[in-house]
Amino acid sequence: MTEIATTSPALSRPDGQKRRSPAYLAWRRFAANKAALVAGIVLLVIVLMAIFAPLISKTGPNDQAFLTKALSFPSAEHWFGIDDLGRDFFTRIIYGARVSLGIGLSAALFSLLLGLPMGALAGYLGGRFDWAVMRIIELFSVVPPLLAALLLATLTRGGVWAIVLIAGLFGWVNVCLLVRAQVKSFREKEFIMAAQALGASPWHIVWRHLIPNSVSPVIVGFVLAIPLAMMLEASLSFLGIGVQPPTPSWGQMINVGMNFMYFYWHMAVFPVLALAVTILAASLLGDGLRDALDPTLKGR
Amino acid sequence: MSEHALELSQISKEFGGRTVVDRVNLVVPKNQVVALVGESGSGKTTTGLMALRLIEPSAGRILLGGHDITSLRQRDLKPFRRQMQVVFQDSYASLDPMMTLGEIIAEPLAIHAIGTASERRDRARDWLQRVGLDGSYATRYPHELSGGQRQRVSVARALILGASVLVADEPTSALDVSVKAQIVNLLQGLQADMGLSMLFISHDLSVVRSLADQVVVMLRGRVVERGPTDRIFANAHHPYTRALLDAVPVIDPTARRRRTFLTAEEINANTPRFRPEDIEPQPLVDTADPQLVALAGSHFVEAIVTGGR
Amino acid sequence: MLQFIIRRTLSMLVTFFVVSIIIFMMMHAIPGGPFDGNDMPLPDNIRARLMAQLGLDKPLWEQYLRYMWGVFHLDFGVPYQSPGETVMGLIAHAWVPSLVLGGLGVLIGAPIGILLGMAAALNRNSWIDYLASAIATLGLTIPVFVISTLLILVFAVWLHWTPASGWGEPRRWILPIMAYAAVPMATYARYARSAMLDTLNKPFVTVLRAKGLSERRIIFQHVLRNSAIPMITIFLPMFVGIATGSIFVEAIFRVPGLGAYFVSSIQKRDYPLEMALMLLISALFCISYLISDVLYALLNPRIRLGGKGR
Repeated sequence: MTEIATTSPALSRPDGQKRRSPAYLAWRRFAANKAALVAGIVLLVIVLMAIFAPLISKTGPNDQAFLTKALSFPSAEHWFGIDDLGRDFFTRIIYGARVSLGIGLSAALFSLLLGLPMGALAGYLGGRFDWAVMRIIELFSVVPPLLAALLLATLTRGGVWAIVLIAGLFGWVNVCLLVRAQVKSFREKEFIMAAQALGASPWHIVWRHLIPNSVSPVIVGFVLAIPLAMMLEASLSFLGIGVQPPTPSWGQMINVGMNFMYFYWHMAVFPVLALAVTILAASLLGDGLRDALDPTLKGR
Repeated sequence: MSEHALELSQISKEFGGRTVVDRVNLVVPKNQVVALVGESGSGKTTTGLMALRLIEPSAGRILLGGHDITSLRQRDLKPFRRQMQVVFQDSYASLDPMMTLGEIIAEPLAIHAIGTASERRDRARDWLQRVGLDGSYATRYPHELSGGQRQRVSVARALILGASVLVADEPTSALDVSVKAQIVNLLQGLQADMGLSMLFISHDLSVVRSLADQVVVMLRGRVVERGPTDRIFANAHHPYTRALLDAVPVIDPTARRRRTFLTAEEINANTPRFRPEDIEPQPLVDTADPQLVALAGSHFVEAIVTGGR
Repeated sequence: MLQFIIRRTLSMLVTFFVVSIIIFMMMHAIPGGPFDGNDMPLPDNIRARLMAQLGLDKPLWEQYLRYMWGVFHLDFGVPYQSPGETVMGLIAHAWVPSLVLGGLGVLIGAPIGILLGMAAALNRNSWIDYLASAIATLGLTIPVFVISTLLILVFAVWLHWTPASGWGEPRRWILPIMAYAAVPMATYARYARSAMLDTLNKPFVTVLRAKGLSERRIIFQHVLRNSAIPMITIFLPMFVGIATGSIFVEAIFRVPGLGAYFVSSIQKRDYPLEMALMLLISALFCISYLISDVLYALLNPRIRLGGKGR
């Protein structure tokens, strides 16, 4: 950087590249969005608690270590109280985060694996393939996901992987649509034509141009798929056809808690709050990322 | 006979049963600028994209430096791509928003595996300066530049491989007047320096007049008139060419601007009519009706020849 | 226009047909019939006779065709869980509580949402704007059963203002209606806000201001009318979407509506009822999309005039 920059003072600080790269600008837009920033931090704390759950709590999630104190209210020793089966409720909740987030992340990954190639191909190839993909998506839009998930869950008799599969099956549509729109709009752009005119191979165009420019919708699609999957898991578990006990799941805890809530409110309040806060944080983070990464996607 | 830099012969394009470009013949001689003019929808951009093999022609041939590149496979086309490059109208869409200007200008070198990474960087910086931008712009991103600056980057990317033919598709029509002049000057300078041959696609006749050696006028996918720039501007025969010329803003406030829009009927009614003896004793270019007939001074116009011989 | 309606209708019929096949196949892929397992141990010969009586021994495609033939005559068969009734009859009395509570929820939630969204758009970055955004985000992200549980906790358990479960006397309706109202309120708060902002930023509003029209007239005569289109077109799909939420609301508040029957039909492997409810909701979705497509085309002059414009 020996040359003298001939630009406005706002851009003339020495640490050039990072400050103006698209990634940096996206970060600045994201950081300006306080709600998304706070949501991100909250989610990070929840994720860390889920990962280090065994370090935080001395007992396991299914250890009935406090049977004599079953249904005790929250105390300094047991922050969230004890549940009906004598298990420390705080431990149950943070292990529940493992299940909830684990399912959310795996389902989002599965949505991505299905939606990214389908969306990219539909957008890039157009024509009949695109038509077929869009008709399939139309089918998915007519069947309410929750009802279909209920059916599928009874079909598979629940279980963690069945739920991941079901959530992914309905989550890929969003990813597919986002990626398709992006690829479609870029396929006709002049810089792609310029690269073709330069003799660039299709591989070069996909690798150097289409993929870097599709990072935004992929990230956004991935993050927004997480709360949807978590919601689906909680809903199915709440109805008793999701994650089966004794695996700790917030939806299932809410179901049990409802039976106790008239006398032991902590049984319902904590799983409800844990679920609400986590889903809210994940959604706000996704919205914030969407607005920051691609202002043109706003409000979809 | 010397080879032409670029030659399109009888080139056509159909889209869904509609003929967008209809048997166009077009020659860009070496070291010359040929302007392809016409309103939007006249097929001039499609013609340019076919010359670049970015759109496959439905019929006809493309000769680059005398080599037929019409049906070369992409792999065999690659060496020819170095000789012919393109600058588009939309300067923002022309540059990948995720790449720095240095990466964008060096990309052609990377595609053709020329030099090491650091050599490519140096050459990209050289070219930034050659198109009138500071070398420090190499680490900038397209969104930080003005339209004129971005168009300079497009030019640098197009010419870094040492192309001999440049297809410029309305490179100035999205720019302000003052910036427009700068880009025209830049192209003119580079054309003289590098001995470029240029196919300059435009509807802006004031730019065409200062830049082009020859003018080709297209209307609804057909060439209706072509000839040396001064002859076209001084003595246009085709009503459509005249209408285009009338649309150019004039400084003289007393000169009234005429209506530029012509209906198909008006054009047909006013298509020039010649008797055979008015025409240069040359073979006619096209046998279809109405035909391109040759006038004096390699000036051709679409006309109806009446009273056969 | 007529051609557009016909084309959309045909495409929706095809979609519905494919969906009905998929639902039918899924239903039959569910392991075990109504007479399996420990729930209902029956001798083999009686079981076979029952299967034959219900047509469950025929090839799948024949079962499908017979079934769809019945559907066209509004005959959805007999629910296994109460053989004394028809599915149609059961649905006919079950939809009443669902529609009353859901309808009241929408009637209360939607206008509040619209007002909130409008107020937010007219006072950008004020406390009401943040409140509207918060309500929109909460209502659209938090599952209905979480909202319902919270409502019971706060209003029934802690404050003792209302009974915890619904149906019967109208006092019991309050909480389920509030639960139902959450989604339309959130949806409309978000839509009204963005539609108003969109319109307010259009050049024609600036022109009206420049002409010296009063702000009140600009908003009520021009902005509102232009913002109404998206709000009208999302109404039906949203209403049907609420039907999905009814499963949880009715399970939690013990309302004997369609949603409650859906859950029990799944738990009891009651094919006919389950099939009927799935088909019903898919059909409602198809119809609501169709109507909102047509409404959109009718209300948007640019589409009506041949679809040029942007």
